[in-house]
Amino acid sequence: MRRDLEAVFRRDYSLVAGVAARVLGSPTQADDVAQEVFLSFARSSPSAVPADQARGWLCVAATHTALNLLRSGRRRIAREDAAGTRDAALTGETAPDVADSVVVSEERARVRAALARLPRPQATALVLRHSGLSYAEVAAALHLSPTSVGTTVRRAESALREELTRP
Amino acid sequence: MKLTRHPAEGVLRRLIDEPAGVSDPDRDHIAACGRCQQMLAAVRDDAAAASALLSVPSTAEGQDDDVDAAWQRLRGSTAASVPAASAAADGARVVALDAHRVSDEHVSTARSTRRLTGRGAWRRPGVVALGVAVVVAGAGTAAASDWLRIFQVQQVAPISLSQADLAGLGQLPDPSAFGEAVATKPVEIREVSDAAAAAQATGLQVPRVAELPRGVTGQPTYQVGYAGQVSFTFSAAKAAASAEAAGGQLPPVPAGLDGSVVRLSAGPGVAAVWESSAGVPALIVGRAVAPTAESTGVPFTQVRDYLLSLPGIPADLASQLATFTGDGSTLPLPVPADQAATSTADVNGAPATVVRSNDGTMAGVVWVRNGVVTAVAGTPSTDELLDVARGLK
Repeated sequence: MRRDLEAVFRRDYSLVAGVAARVLGSPTQADDVAQEVFLSFARSSPSAVPADQARGWLCVAATHTALNLLRSGRRRIAREDAAGTRDAALTGETAPDVADSVVVSEERARVRAALARLPRPQATALVLRHSGLSYAEVAAALHLSPTSVGTTVRRAESALREELTRP
Repeated sequence: MKLTRHPAEGVLRRLIDEPAGVSDPDRDHIAACGRCQQMLAAVRDDAAAASALLSVPSTAEGQDDDVDAAWQRLRGSTAASVPAASAAADGARVVALDAHRVSDEHVSTARSTRRLTGRGAWRRPGVVALGVAVVVAGAGTAAASDWLRIFQVQQVAPISLSQADLAGLGQLPDPSAFGEAVATKPVEIREVSDAAAAAQATGLQVPRVAELPRGVTGQPTYQVGYAGQVSFTFSAAKAAASAEAAGGQLPPVPAGLDGSVVRLSAGPGVAAVWESSAGVPALIVGRAVAPTAESTGVPFTQVRDYLLSLPGIPADLASQLATFTGDGSTLPLPVPADQAATSTADVNGAPATVVRSNDGTMAGVVWVRNGVVTAVAGTPSTDELLDVARGLK
């Protein structure tokens, strides 16, 4: 067990859970992902993950774990829930605000599907940047130059737009 | 000095977030250039759209109470010392370092515990060759499914690389020149306290040495690695562009190969390492779930023939790899012909490959049984290593 675990946890937990939530589109499973990531960090040795690199490591780990979760199809349950709500809305059994929430939830699902289809380095850089990490932090976490971070994030945003505007 | 070229889109993107990170000449150019202003507006729109799309509906950013509760939960998990959190996100392995190490995990456990980092690993000719080799050595037939199993290691056999081969491999293109390699499940390697912890972390039976060879003493350290996976997506456009840039021509791409994906998986694995007084490993006993390769339904023969026809694969090597087509279960182990000699042996009924360096300083024994590859390597003699191999419990 790492001695710096609690200090790192209290410093970075919210950020890491936020990264996972950003990928998953919901905070529901983000806590589980954050727990798994910190558990892995707890078992790492300080030589493998030095304390000063912990924040970037944790954020990358949270992104990958959440993306894997998206890709593994375990989001099926959420989709089925959404479909159930939509069916209810279509049959007029629910109030109009439920129909609105269906639209929102479908868009969220499309965004996550698009995110999961992006090349992994692009998706990771995109999520890290939009989670508030600086270019220098993203660069260090992904072994890129700060200039490449701009290029990678730009490509990801452009690809996301193309994915979502595709008929 | 006035900048005449237009800065790249990545620079425009950074200008939006971190203007101070953009050089003065670039900033001056963008401010005065109509085309760059237009592009900047488009980049800004996309950035704003992405920000909105990736926003989290109700904040996951915890209050102090939430963090306290989460901390208590983690403490419970670590105290239980079981991978409980993986139940919450099963199969979604956490990541970390050395993304591509997986592709030669079986070799590195036999040779040493050194790490290969990031994309650099792919640029190492031996790893590139091995990646090609693992793919090429697959079987031609398998049940139709979304993912076609084309290769599962059941035994290891050396292929000899001459100096000319090695020189040729040095000219091989980086895999990113003809596709995209992504570590879909990057590997984390870490040290654990003892064999029990290693077994718990990997689910493997950790090999126990019955009797240490002369000169090897003390307790080993244990390294474990989770299962890892690398996906390679072939891109005909990228390959053609790279070939053109190199002044060559790409062999005709078979129908269906463009966009096809080959997925290499390996691990988890464990290695017990006994250090010598000189600080180098005196003995390494490693065990890992043997590598497999799968593809998205492209006929295996097309993948094999195409990869072997790529410019830069030495003809000698290609002809050896082309023989790995029969049973689809043999892992080629590249061995530099001028630096090491190979032979075969029997380890309790399993055919094993024995490699010994010509200077006599290192040797190794590698074999596969029931989809698990085991390696014993180090400074003892071949006979002593075979004794260790045969006596493993």
